[in-house]
Amino acid sequence: MFTFLVRRIIGTIPIVFGVALVVFVLFNIVGGDPALMMVGKHATAQQIADIRREYGLDLPLPIQFLHYLRDIATFDFGRSYATRQKISDMIMNGVGPSLSLTLPAFMLTTVVSVLLGLVVSYFRGKIIDRVAVILCVIGMSISVLAYILFGQYYLAYDLRLFPISGYDYSLTGRFEYLALPILLWLFLSMGSEVRFFRTAILEETSQDYVRTARAKGVSEPRVFLKHVLKNSMVPIVTNVVLEIPLLVLGSFLFENFFGIPGLGSITIDALHNSDLPVIKTMAFVISLLLIFGNIMTDLIYALVDPRVKLS
Amino acid sequence: MELLYLMINPKHTRLVRSAFALSLGVSLLAFVGCTKKSDLDPTNTFYTSSIAKIKGLDPAFADDMYSGYEVTRIYEGLLQYKYLKRPYELEPCLAEAMPTISKDGKTYTFKLKKGVVFQDDKAFKATNGKGREVTAEDFVYSFKRLADPKLNSPMWWLFDGKIEGLNEWHDASAKAGKSDYAANISGLKAVDASTLQIKLKSRSYQFVYALAMPATTVVAKEVVEEYGAEFLNHPVGTGAFKLAEYNPSAKIVYVKSPSFRKEFYPSEGDAEDQAKGLLADAGKQLPLVDKVVMTVHVESQPQWLNFMQGNLDLAPIPKDNFAQAIDPKTKGLTEEMKKKNIQLFIEPSLDITHTSFNMTDPVVGKNKYLRQAISTAINTQEEIDLFYNGRAVSAQGPIPPGLAGYDPATKNPYKEYNLEKAKELLKKAGYPDGKGLAPLEYLSLADTTARQMTEYFQKAMTAIGIQVKVQTFSWPEFQQSLKNKKGQMWSFAWGADYPDAENFLQLFYSKNSSPGPNDANYDNPEFDKLYEKSLTMNDSPARTELYKKMAAIVIEDTPWAFGVHRLTYGLTHPWLKNYKPHEFNHGMAKYYRIDTNLRK
Amino acid sequence: MTTTTTTVTETVSLDKPLPKGRSLWQLSWMRLKKDPYAIACSVIILFYVVVALLSRLDLVGYPWDAKVGESYGRPDTSSFATFLGMDIFGRSVMYKTIYGLRIAMSIGLVTACIAVPLGASMGAIAGYYGGWIDEVFVWFYTTLSSIPDLLLLIAISYALGKGMTAMYVALISTSWIGIARVIRGEFIKHKEREYVVAADALGASDFSKIFKHILPNVSHFLILNFSMQFMSAIKAEVILTFLGVGIQGLPSWGNMIDDAKLELARGVWWQLTGATVAMFVIVLALNILGDSLRDALDPKIK
Repeated sequence: MFTFLVRRIIGTIPIVFGVALVVFVLFNIVGGDPALMMVGKHATAQQIADIRREYGLDLPLPIQFLHYLRDIATFDFGRSYATRQKISDMIMNGVGPSLSLTLPAFMLTTVVSVLLGLVVSYFRGKIIDRVAVILCVIGMSISVLAYILFGQYYLAYDLRLFPISGYDYSLTGRFEYLALPILLWLFLSMGSEVRFFRTAILEETSQDYVRTARAKGVSEPRVFLKHVLKNSMVPIVTNVVLEIPLLVLGSFLFENFFGIPGLGSITIDALHNSDLPVIKTMAFVISLLLIFGNIMTDLIYALVDPRVKLS
Repeated sequence: MELLYLMINPKHTRLVRSAFALSLGVSLLAFVGCTKKSDLDPTNTFYTSSIAKIKGLDPAFADDMYSGYEVTRIYEGLLQYKYLKRPYELEPCLAEAMPTISKDGKTYTFKLKKGVVFQDDKAFKATNGKGREVTAEDFVYSFKRLADPKLNSPMWWLFDGKIEGLNEWHDASAKAGKSDYAANISGLKAVDASTLQIKLKSRSYQFVYALAMPATTVVAKEVVEEYGAEFLNHPVGTGAFKLAEYNPSAKIVYVKSPSFRKEFYPSEGDAEDQAKGLLADAGKQLPLVDKVVMTVHVESQPQWLNFMQGNLDLAPIPKDNFAQAIDPKTKGLTEEMKKKNIQLFIEPSLDITHTSFNMTDPVVGKNKYLRQAISTAINTQEEIDLFYNGRAVSAQGPIPPGLAGYDPATKNPYKEYNLEKAKELLKKAGYPDGKGLAPLEYLSLADTTARQMTEYFQKAMTAIGIQVKVQTFSWPEFQQSLKNKKGQMWSFAWGADYPDAENFLQLFYSKNSSPGPNDANYDNPEFDKLYEKSLTMNDSPARTELYKKMAAIVIEDTPWAFGVHRLTYGLTHPWLKNYKPHEFNHGMAKYYRIDTNLRK
Repeated sequence: MTTTTTTVTETVSLDKPLPKGRSLWQLSWMRLKKDPYAIACSVIILFYVVVALLSRLDLVGYPWDAKVGESYGRPDTSSFATFLGMDIFGRSVMYKTIYGLRIAMSIGLVTACIAVPLGASMGAIAGYYGGWIDEVFVWFYTTLSSIPDLLLLIAISYALGKGMTAMYVALISTSWIGIARVIRGEFIKHKEREYVVAADALGASDFSKIFKHILPNVSHFLILNFSMQFMSAIKAEVILTFLGVGIQGLPSWGNMIDDAKLELARGVWWQLTGATVAMFVIVLALNILGDSLRDALDPKIK
């Protein structure tokens, strides 16, 4: 177990390096010159040169890349070019709003979907199941933009059930402003989640032990709750765990539309401003979280399923 | 308890309507008991908003309008604009009077108001955290910051090449890799604690305007040094308000500063101001509101909705809500608005939109007739209807109405929409019906409106046989192209930094070519000569004549296809009193009053 | 020599789960034919293809950029062009939707047609050869998939300028990973199977083992993935264009939805409706067909 962890953590180094390389190459070649973004509308050539020198943008690219690697190794990401705020502070400030959106949305979606998945697979083949599956597919087929735009327009603008967008740091404000995006998130992801859980549960019901239990005369609800649910938890839990680290990142689209000042909107702003330090930091943080999620999934697998060995 | 109090914003105590929010919101109950009395009247608050995130509150970096608004709630400079006077005029702010100017027009001497103190902050160690008095040295320090090569202030252009010895200081600092604030600069001197002397390299009549801009407000050395790079999050100024709650990307709350000097509501105003009740508070001590709450709404829809719900005291009308607010027949407010007693303010902006031609380009830059043909083929009136809801006037020349040098009689011969004439010009240009002309490269931004405007332009050009190849860019890429003189045409806009036509005419001065503000890279020695001459002239009929002459040259040469001058339509709720739109709305929240009875 | 070859074929045919293998396709086809949903969805997809082709030939929805009514004219059933109302310039929303359909179909098709074979061969090579090739490959795809898709897509379209080509490259470069991963896994399993070992013993080249022997046995993954990629490419185009890094100057569904962002507040709902309904129908059809294919091809379920 311990050696597994150590090996996996060492194994992330080449990946982090790869991510750093790709991000560095992509964003240093494209996306505009940050010096030009900082210089303002009355720029002079001399001032641009000043900024390049001050921020080390005049150094050869390999040296700049080494600096980036150094920043990653020391976890010192410096300051944003655009807002001049400390990037670590920006991230700290962004995590709260992002999590306020994603955590309740995720929990709600998971609970609702698992419950529905159970109900639907219990009535497998019956009319409820068929209708539910069709609804799921329909839900999955609607564009996320349509959900957001129609939701904002009809529920918030027309019916005035929710504020259209915005964010408030007070507790009440959070609930008020985030209710609509969370609700939309639920509808948006429910389709595929319910289907996934349904499949996972159904796969269990076709196992031999279920048949045996049924043959022994165990009542159907009992089979379901005692045997099927327990065993189908493996795919469910792993699926759920994999998503957890990503919750920190919030959502590019939701944050953009609803004006939530989370990490997603910080990243988009950085892209719009050629804010290289922020782009690079965010890419690094995101990749780290993804890798972390993968390791966690492997661990959980081993914990819930004794057949899996960590080696 | 201040913080807790702010959390229970009165706007949020109304029922959280969604059942979902309710189910999650049980824990709120814990907070309801905590509302605490405050010496501030919670309803006497000015609620405003910003459409952009605020870049921090350091005057040296306040180069955009929105940061400028916020910075000047806390910071003040030597001069300010008179609140009610039009055309715009300056008056002393922290200076006791307007400066005395030497005979050669180069030396400005300012006497400072006595007894003006910074707001309290722990950085003032010598006075145990009490804010100390502002001295002339503080201004010298603040101005040097703009020149500091370590800071790279985007507002350096205000002083760049203008103040004696300041460029030398900048260069020396850059060379040394360290900025020596103790060094003396001949053109920037604190004669005594309350006398500041500024020596210019050459006569400039626009220079005083720089001293009324957010970037030249006064900061305290102790505070800058105490907070270092975090200074932008710890503003300490002399202004009417001080910081109470701060999140530059979401919400900033200011409260009345107890140490604010004695300043009174202006009592001079014209008959119209009188009639509108703008003089009702004449002579009253400022500020009139206890608190200012600024929320960031990066999208115009939530801003508008919050205004409609009464959560914001004023708001611009978004293009798409125009029909809801303005009756197309009467051009006045709709019944819905009238019922709410909402007030409408229409104010011409000192700005201009334009399509720039890259004058260094061998095709569009060297062929006047081609540019004139393109300009003539644009139906500005239709553009105004489609994109501005009629809220703009067609620009005939480079100078917007409201500035000396604008001539309402000017008729730009290449602004009348006339396809026949455009085709003729195109023939004269050597491309009959567009034959032989390679598709022109047009740079556009990627946002919705820019995309639609570009499509419109493309269509207009097709009508005379010109093919347009569109390149869509993000803002950084767009900047990169422009500053490197790439591309043939693009759309841009310029808003005035100060109310002088010079600010628009400098956009055609050859020495301001890219990366400077002359994005068309227009280079005409005749124009340059007139421009340089105008700089040495006082505001006078002779200078105005010169401005008109320069405008005529630009109109004929057509380095720009002129677009429109926009009109700002703003709405206010009836409880917001003393509001008068101002193009340079810096620190003006101190004049506003809230009728707390009208606000529910 | 000839004899040997025959034996090989026979061994192979006997050894791979053959009667099942070949009849799997037949069986699948039978199952599919009996599935009314699958038939309906195929018809819908075929319809979209036909409309896209007609639009390509300027036979339907042409010219999309002509003015057919007033700015923001309301839907009006009097003619086909005005059926879905007009946009800001008085152009037909119906025509724009059709043009958008054509763009969406070509994006879906090109992306899927390149990403799936590309991913499959990459995965096949990595899985088959193993060793350092596999290590490098795994490193490569883990790296790419550790960068959020959206960031990668935006960066690529910045690099290549905006337009169809950039969009293709961007979408392909993110979408080949999924199938590559699956195929790699399958190859690792299959290369130990008897039929492959037998082919190897008989001197089959790597190329023929990869493409002639193993790949056909995992091809149902390709078909499933194809319909999935097709669908997600259509969805991605809309989001990218909406974010300003996609198609420019042509009416695509993403552009129409982007326009709608500003129009809804003035009660102009038809552009959003046109684009989203058109998109919904094709995505729904692909979703259901994908499900039917999975059911038909996977003997375990059912």
